[in-house]
Amino acid sequence: MFDLNKKGPAAPTQQRTNTGGGQDSNANTQTASRDSQTGEMAVIGRSIKIEGDVRGEEDLRIEGDVTGSIHLPNNSLTIGKDGRIKADAYAKSVVVDGEVSGDLYGAECVTIRANANVECNVVAARVSLEEGARFKGSIDMDPERVKKSLSKKLGSRERASDSGGKPRSTPASALNSRAAEPGAAQRTASAKSSKAEPAH
Amino acid sequence: MRAHSVTEPLGASMARAHFDAPREFGVPLFRSLIDKLNEDRRWVILDLGAARPQTVELLSRFRCRLEIADLADTVTASGVGAGDPVRFTDLSEALHANPGNEPVDIAFCWDFLNYLIPEQMTELIKGIAARCRPDAFVHALIAYSDPLMPQWPGQFMPVDDGRLLNLSTAEPQCLAPHYSPEDLTSWMPGVTIERVRLLTNGMQEYLFRLSDVVGASGFSRGH
Repeated sequence: MFDLNKKGPAAPTQQRTNTGGGQDSNANTQTASRDSQTGEMAVIGRSIKIEGDVRGEEDLRIEGDVTGSIHLPNNSLTIGKDGRIKADAYAKSVVVDGEVSGDLYGAECVTIRANANVECNVVAARVSLEEGARFKGSIDMDPERVKKSLSKKLGSRERASDSGGKPRSTPASALNSRAAEPGAAQRTASAKSSKAEPAH
Repeated sequence: MRAHSVTEPLGASMARAHFDAPREFGVPLFRSLIDKLNEDRRWVILDLGAARPQTVELLSRFRCRLEIADLADTVTASGVGAGDPVRFTDLSEALHANPGNEPVDIAFCWDFLNYLIPEQMTELIKGIAARCRPDAFVHALIAYSDPLMPQWPGQFMPVDDGRLLNLSTAEPQCLAPHYSPEDLTSWMPGVTIERVRLLTNGMQEYLFRLSDVVGASGFSRGH
């Protein structure tokens, strides 16, 4: 089942980017490094399926399936090459190497890598798309609209959090602390798999 | 798709084809569109082609929402092949698969029209018009001088605001249809030709204006 105490390597900091808004392509690298000061991140392994609302205060790498929503306002989200999400995801930065269906909100940047298969709407201050990526959907690059959308998204999430959040919410950090308790993860989220993956 | 030009369903090889001798060419009407983007307003742009980093990079300089339809991929996925105009309606519907709530101002339809029979062209323009605001622009490239063209729709990407790069494979090739302006306007009723330029690569660059496309419904009809 979940073993979210396990930690994977930090998101790779080397990114080939085409940044918007005239930003330096090194910006993503700096962001990734800053977000991963500890050099660790939570990992949802290949065999894990989650249905619900994932939220947390640490970097997260997804190699399994997540359906629902993901909220990491101060951290990076990486959908690894085996990761599949059908979710609206909000994070400080988002890197996609796997499959995404849903909307992606990146407060700083969204990077879609060459192997990614994405059908979604992207709203981000900077968007990077690598050659070879399969993408259908939209990319909003209007700074005014991006700012408005992101603040609206963050605002609505914070209100939900203040009022107790969604009943099926699955805080990533809480999962980490509960993982030591037998069966805790099963109770926390609609996890459908029983085998933890080694950290990638 | 055009019966004489497609001998098999457009395969994944199209998307991952080996490209040789990419050709770069000036596109003055494209440049004029990019110049328009400097106006201080928000623009919604629909690219019927595949997602390209260079397109994202170019448009990121402006207040844009870029919608990527990747119709060639849709063709591949739906198995539409030679002489299959009926199923082409699926393709125009695919334009609505992920619609935004804003009307499109500019559509990039590079090279795709060369591979369509008249009925398909009519269906496609209806689909585009339904996504667009009235008087939206459609930018297209039509085979003109060369007797031959690549067997599958070309892949283009902007080099800068006034040049495109043609990534098409040289082989195999098929006869180019050489559609005339009269052909195009008669098969795309309600579309007017704003400007046409002959390009150095032998193609004609068209800037169409959607005025009152027959059969279209959507934003252009007040939604």
